[in-house]
Amino acid sequence: MVKIPPYLQPGNTIGLVCAAGFMAMEKVQTCIDVLQQWGYKVKVGATVGSASTTYFSGTDEERLNDFQQLLDDDSVHAVLCARGGYGVSRIIDRISFKKFKKQPKWIIGFSDITLLHAHIYSNYGISTLHAPMAGAFNDEGYKNEFVKSLKNALEGKKIRYECKEHAFNKKGEAVGELVGGNLALLAHIIGTPSDIKTKGRILFLEDVGEYLYNIDRMLHQLKRSGKLEKLAGLIVGAFTDNKDTERPFGQNAYEIINNIVKEYDYPVCFGFPVSHEKENYALKVGAGYKLKVGKSKVILEE
Amino acid sequence: MNRKRFLSSFVAAGLPVAGFPSFFLKNEDDAPAPIVPRYLKPGDTIGITCPAGTITPEEIQPAMVQMIEWGFNIKVGETVGKKDFTFGGTDEERARDFQQMIDDPKVKAIMCARGGYGFVRIIDKIDFTKLVTKPKWIIGFSDVTVLHAHLNRNFGIASIHSKMCNSFPGDWNLAEPIQIETILSIKQALTGQKMKYTVPANLQNKQGSAEGVLIGGNLKMIETLAGTKSDIRTTNKILFVEDTGEYLYSIDRMFWNLKRTGKLEKLAGLIVGGFKVKPDDPGEEFGRSVQDIVLEKVKNYRYPVCFDFPVGHQKNNYALKCGARHRLVVAAGEVTLKEV
Repeated sequence: MVKIPPYLQPGNTIGLVCAAGFMAMEKVQTCIDVLQQWGYKVKVGATVGSASTTYFSGTDEERLNDFQQLLDDDSVHAVLCARGGYGVSRIIDRISFKKFKKQPKWIIGFSDITLLHAHIYSNYGISTLHAPMAGAFNDEGYKNEFVKSLKNALEGKKIRYECKEHAFNKKGEAVGELVGGNLALLAHIIGTPSDIKTKGRILFLEDVGEYLYNIDRMLHQLKRSGKLEKLAGLIVGAFTDNKDTERPFGQNAYEIINNIVKEYDYPVCFGFPVSHEKENYALKVGAGYKLKVGKSKVILEE
Repeated sequence: MNRKRFLSSFVAAGLPVAGFPSFFLKNEDDAPAPIVPRYLKPGDTIGITCPAGTITPEEIQPAMVQMIEWGFNIKVGETVGKKDFTFGGTDEERARDFQQMIDDPKVKAIMCARGGYGFVRIIDKIDFTKLVTKPKWIIGFSDVTVLHAHLNRNFGIASIHSKMCNSFPGDWNLAEPIQIETILSIKQALTGQKMKYTVPANLQNKQGSAEGVLIGGNLKMIETLAGTKSDIRTTNKILFVEDTGEYLYSIDRMFWNLKRTGKLEKLAGLIVGGFKVKPDDPGEEFGRSVQDIVLEKVKNYRYPVCFDFPVGHQKNNYALKCGARHRLVVAAGEVTLKEV
């Protein structure tokens, strides 16, 4: 049974960190303001709005130290990764989860942060939050239901989401622990100590900016490594900004996925609001969920 | 080191084999012993097939003409000229064509017409029984890395990593020397010449020498085979990697994958071929070169590492025998890779 970190109380502190790519302070400010409006204190890590001039928000040591400090700081109750990008792979094996294991707290983010979700779930059985990050708060994004779903999740409100049906959906009901995130990262960690087990679980996937043939290749990797066969259910989020080769691949992302999983009997839904776009509900990785893929709608509830 | 060789070295040293604990008798990573297919003789037939991307009959003409001139017969597979979007035919057509090339006793070697994408979609549909009983050479690179890896992991059968039909010069008389040399290296590999390449040293090389079975190919393919039954095992082997069109961050991530899946730790040696890097997007400068990326991952290991080896998506892409034993010597002035 997965451990659920304590939900947040008013006055608790959320630590902000850039564990991967660089993010300028002006792009994080709205997030900080809104988290404070929600009743939390915010502790801004050294990697947020750092002086870094490279792709990363800091050197590996700086990012590692910042993350480690927030992870171990008793006065920090949750760690929100301000953005993804690329970089958790470079530091994951140097993070100490010793204290975190005993005193879990919510780790929040998506995209590159998928690696943290998978690693923590696989190795420590602790739930994490796949959810919008700092950028999603900008341009009045904090008013939408997706950013608000993060607030609800942090407060411990039971999650229940609905979305529309899709022609490829396979009807049915599934119960299981929820795992998943960014497809490229999930493929990238296969065979590593962060790899996830998927048997009997509900898997969710999303990705951005991938070539269609590469989506196909990654799905084949999941399939060939035995990750698709014994799922309880599959949730397909959005695959946005897909790229294609000069000679067209001939299938869109959903057709690719549907063709690969159609032989299985478990329920599958497409178009679930988890993505690199605005539509990105907070999901508790590792927590038990019920997925109901019905005729007219899809319900995912804790 | 294969089991037989390991044993015989003890026997030769006069040590009592029977007294050794059983784990000594087992290859460390359970890899099958290397099997080298029969080399080709004039009059033998080479089959051409498209397991991945599509190609037209016109596009394979230069390769056919050349291989006929070398004294071989050519069997053109039914997928040549087939087109299912990017693929050289549907999955079923490509699998069937490859299968009949494996099963046809007259075909002594199979050249993949081109790479692209698609081998992984059919690999599990292919029955390798006849290849195992009668190994034959399979030739290609890039997407064909799937097959090199699969053969090495499961059967230990050697295969040729080289240019394919789409790289043969249209006019041999107008071809650059490097084109001719690299194409001729395929013939040398196929006809049983021991491969030996000597190239100038890169200043960032890590010197040393190593001996082991050569494996490798396209880095992206190696990464996406992780966790599957085609996943390579690298203990005591010489690994070579190349790639094209990838961002530096992605190359970094793939090398982390190699490291975190345990593929770098117990290598005999590492050969880095060509990496055609996709330029960073503005404001996303990665700030590390391919050499930096590699050296960072192997800094705690003592085996030799060389850069700029002539293998990859480039003109200087020489034939390499995957699955055959090689000796790598990375010296101050030059690098030599030699089949042993």
